[in-house]
Amino acid sequence: MGGLLQQAELPGANIPWLEALREKGRRAFAAQGMPTAKTEAWKYTRPRDLQTDDFVIRTTDNDKKCCGEAGHCSCEKQEEQSLPFECYEICFENGCLQHNHLHLPRGVTVMPLMEAITENDEIKAYLGKSVDIEHYPFAALNTAYLAGGLFIRIAGNTKLDKPLAVLNRTHSCHENLFCNLRNIIVLESGAEAELIESFTYDGAEKSRYFNNIVNEIYIGRKASLRHCKFQNEAFKAVHVSLSQVKVREGGNYESFCLQRGANLARNETKVLLTEEQARAEVNAAYIMNGWATIDTTTDIEHLSPQTYSDQLVRGIVGGNAKGVFQGKIHIAPEAVKTEGTQQHKALLLTDTAEVDCKPELEIFADDVKCSHGAASGELDEEQLFYLRSRGIGEDEARQILIDAYLEDVFARIRSEKIKDWLVSLSG
Amino acid sequence: MSVENKKPEIIDESGDKYKYGFVTDIAADTVPKGLNEDIIRLISAKKDEPEWLLEWRLQAFRFWQKMEEPSWAKLSYDKIDYRNLHYYSAPKQKNAPKSLDEVDPELLKTYEKLGIPLKEQEALAGVVAVDAVFDSVSVATTYRAKLAEKGIIFCSISEAVKEHPGLVQQYLGSVVPYTDNFFACLNSAVFTDGSFVYIPKGVRCPMELSTYFRINAENTGQFERTLIVADDDGYVSYLEGCTAPQRDENQLHAAIVEIVILKNAEVKYSTVQNWYPGDKDGKGGVYNFVTKRAACRGENAKISWTQVETGSAVTWKYPSCILQGDNSVGEFYSVAITNNRQQADTGTKMIHIGKNTNSKIISKGISAGFSNQTYRGLVKISPGAVNARNYSQCDSLLIGDACGSHTVPYIENRNKTARLEHEATTSKISDEQLFYCLQRGIGGEEAVSLIVNGFCKEVMQHLPLEFAIEAAKLINISLEGSVG
Repeated sequence: MGGLLQQAELPGANIPWLEALREKGRRAFAAQGMPTAKTEAWKYTRPRDLQTDDFVIRTTDNDKKCCGEAGHCSCEKQEEQSLPFECYEICFENGCLQHNHLHLPRGVTVMPLMEAITENDEIKAYLGKSVDIEHYPFAALNTAYLAGGLFIRIAGNTKLDKPLAVLNRTHSCHENLFCNLRNIIVLESGAEAELIESFTYDGAEKSRYFNNIVNEIYIGRKASLRHCKFQNEAFKAVHVSLSQVKVREGGNYESFCLQRGANLARNETKVLLTEEQARAEVNAAYIMNGWATIDTTTDIEHLSPQTYSDQLVRGIVGGNAKGVFQGKIHIAPEAVKTEGTQQHKALLLTDTAEVDCKPELEIFADDVKCSHGAASGELDEEQLFYLRSRGIGEDEARQILIDAYLEDVFARIRSEKIKDWLVSLSG
Repeated sequence: MSVENKKPEIIDESGDKYKYGFVTDIAADTVPKGLNEDIIRLISAKKDEPEWLLEWRLQAFRFWQKMEEPSWAKLSYDKIDYRNLHYYSAPKQKNAPKSLDEVDPELLKTYEKLGIPLKEQEALAGVVAVDAVFDSVSVATTYRAKLAEKGIIFCSISEAVKEHPGLVQQYLGSVVPYTDNFFACLNSAVFTDGSFVYIPKGVRCPMELSTYFRINAENTGQFERTLIVADDDGYVSYLEGCTAPQRDENQLHAAIVEIVILKNAEVKYSTVQNWYPGDKDGKGGVYNFVTKRAACRGENAKISWTQVETGSAVTWKYPSCILQGDNSVGEFYSVAITNNRQQADTGTKMIHIGKNTNSKIISKGISAGFSNQTYRGLVKISPGAVNARNYSQCDSLLIGDACGSHTVPYIENRNKTARLEHEATTSKISDEQLFYCLQRGIGGEEAVSLIVNGFCKEVMQHLPLEFAIEAAKLINISLEGSVG
């Protein structure tokens, strides 16, 4: 455990409030430690098995070593992978921001988190304000190393014309890298935006590193954010991400996350619907093989009347992999006339695959409509037979059925371009 | 169950007490508060138990001392001071009312609504010296004789320890070992009495067995222990509890029910639990921490749990099924109603180990007033449980805006051929349904009970007939005052 709490030279050490915040994070993590078998929130995903002694924290020093003076990685890189559609691209390589020039429309601010901290007092209103580090050990850890990340703000009534894409790439040149990123995303009243996050790697498939991401997302009145994420980390990587979202009156948060990589990955989404008519849709898909554990955890808190949430999660689990879904709908006593639905389905492809699922409802108000459903099983033999009898080969038939299984969750992505891109990555 | 049948045990009990020297309760009363090895030795000595049982109790106690009280359930209650309890309490005759006049009129009203005859009311309320006119010892003895004819053993567990030590030693603690959980461990150390049932090979028990018929059914104390064994091809339907609210002064009840089901055998276990739930402000009331588990050890074994939970201030109960034998079947049907300040954290566990095992969970929760209720369940498919099948449905109904209803299912699948389905819904009684009833001249309260009974029907139909009728009445009573 001590392996993750290291002495690191972080920028902004002369800013007292920032140092105080980091210290709070350090204390909170030291108090909680790594989640153990008895930590209910981590019942099925076991970061406790992690060998944590040899992770190397990313500091300004090894930045230079890895990213070079020009801010580019010195190791051999694969072809730059841009998204197949137009967007505002921001790249992080090994957790450090690449300075490419973005021509952002008026009202859109994107700046490195450190810059926001030193130059912009506004950040204090957001940074660390929504994350409960006393109960999220990895968020506490992330707070202890606060430095990297972005501050994104979409001003009131601004509609972003193209998606904003944050591409995170890790290169194998730097072994056992431990990288903490914190993104603050603020949509002011009436703003609209699409955000894409992607996590990929270059180099050896078996690279080992640890990405610990915390997003704090604030959605103003009648604002809307569509958040898409693609996670395909290297085989031995660890990916832990927490998106903490606060939605105000009439605001809308839609998210979709496709996970397929990493040895241990957890994508946690916590949404607070704090005012009336707030809405959240949290969808996810995971496709896995090998020995991976992929965890999708959601926690939607309905805190005001007439709030609405919907969750749909599909999983395909093969090899010796383990799929985990923990979903929670919480309805506060005053949150009447709310609706919350949740559905999780998983397909097991092999005898050694495992799916663990804990769909939870916590309801303190009576005038609500809530439901959840969970199912798991293997491919339907009859459907397979139907396709086989029409001359389709076994492998192809299976693929058709798997694709069909994921179809309804992909159908929820509103943007056609993004949907096509993610479908192409799921095959 | 016919009303007349309930009488005998009171009479018998006093006879029994005498027989076993229980009446020398001056001695019993002198057992001091607290829990230590000496107290356990004393309990064991009073019950004249064999050495192995004492040793087992002591082992459990030593283990219990190292355990921590679980806190994961969504329950909040004052911490129990285990050192401040009487672990061997004499029959509570001292504080018992002398006549029905001294009994809480609220309780009497309830009895009336359930249609319980006067004399029986006295018995239930714990009135001393029930009229001897109701001496129907014969009823109980006739039943016993009839059962003995078939080779069925049905007696108290203390009796069984003496008369059938082999069977008890073989099965006691084999389904719920004392290491299982905090309350089970405590029970293993200090259990006072309970029932023992053995169904021999190929025997179908001709009648529904109930704690009512068993001699010494009362005063089994707060640490009851039930052991049921159904040998190959056997069948038994066992009823526990009573629809009438029972007067009880024990705050803590930590019971254990163990069921062993062998090849082709079937056990049906029905419970109606209506312990004192405390008053409107949540004062008093029973803490009901029960461990119930059935092991389907043989092929085609079947267990069916049906429970109607309306009582207790705090309920912590998860009747479970271990489906070990191939083709074995586990069922769980539950209605839980909480009103006022009651809290219930209940559900089931289905552990699929054998091939083609099948389980079904139907849980209906109704919360009213300021109560809180949680369904907590586990469905676990082991890698070897080929073609296992589970269907779970957990519906909750909320009445009033101050209550809570929670669902926490755990579903773990490690076999691809298994098919698991889980569904849960939470809602209130729809205005449309209510309007429909009101429009046809059915009053508000009546309409609610009609709708609630419809909501629970799927479970109620699994109760034995007489039980079901009483349970339906009970539901209405439990919800009284919860509507406008």
